[in-house]
Amino acid sequence: MRMTGPVERVLTAFLSDPAAPRYGYDLMKAARLPSGTLYPLLARLEQQKLVGSAWETPQQEGERPRKYYRLTGEGVRIARLELAQASARRQRAPARPGRPAPGSLG
Amino acid sequence: MRGERRLLRLGECLVRQACRRLPQEIREEHYREWAAELPAILHDPQVRPAPWRAVRMLVYAADTLRGTALTPGWVRGPRSRLSVAGDLLFWVAALVLVAFNSWSVAQAPGDWQEYLLPAWSVLFVAYLIRKRVHPVGRMTALLYTGSTLTLVAWNAAQGNWLNYVFAALVFIPLPILLLAWWLRVAMPARGRHALRDSG
Repeated sequence: MRMTGPVERVLTAFLSDPAAPRYGYDLMKAARLPSGTLYPLLARLEQQKLVGSAWETPQQEGERPRKYYRLTGEGVRIARLELAQASARRQRAPARPGRPAPGSLG
Repeated sequence: MRGERRLLRLGECLVRQACRRLPQEIREEHYREWAAELPAILHDPQVRPAPWRAVRMLVYAADTLRGTALTPGWVRGPRSRLSVAGDLLFWVAALVLVAFNSWSVAQAPGDWQEYLLPAWSVLFVAYLIRKRVHPVGRMTALLYTGSTLTLVAWNAAQGNWLNYVFAALVFIPLPILLLAWWLRVAMPARGRHALRDSG
């Protein structure tokens, strides 16, 4: 799995409560991703067996069943590992020299 | 919300359009999944005011069109003869424009307008290349068509007879191509009724 920004955001959203079922729209809001990015990403995670999906039973008559997603056991393990590695990589990376503040030296 | 059913229908229409591009075996499930989120977006109490929810829902539905091209299993369907002919026509027009505009620059290197036109025609070729690499480009095509028409009309207004020829080349086939595109998008197509029934 290649750790891109969107993947990182989706995994972070899942890990905020790994046991909770997450709908597409719910994940869109949590990860701040548009549907055109989120759904292909979920499909790839599902192909890799990191995410499982199921259809909910509608609570009320006339309501449409929605599909929800959840990290698999393996998905939780890999997501935690990948996010930790990504965080470590960011800490190791040298900080970019920023623009000096007005009035400061350098 | 007023007009809620119409909005939902429009959203469903966009999602259906997106799903038509998916393989048959995953099409129905994706349509059910994506269309089921539309009422949830439209009734989301966290998003206010109501018109903003409607915009979000339509953006969600429209973006699934982009998403289908990135979904695993997506395959470009067989292309119609009209589509192939349209592409060929655009390629010929683009290459002729590049050649003619480059020739014009060579003839009158001092005129700034002559530099603008080759740059624009190279953009035309770049668009066609992009379209080959990435198939999601209908909106870009419409935007580009609009700018093409504007530019051609502006050129024709300058009074150069050659520009009238180019104007005719663009004005005559474009409405036909746009009508064909609209017919393909808006009219019932294979698999659409199955999706409607299942949704």
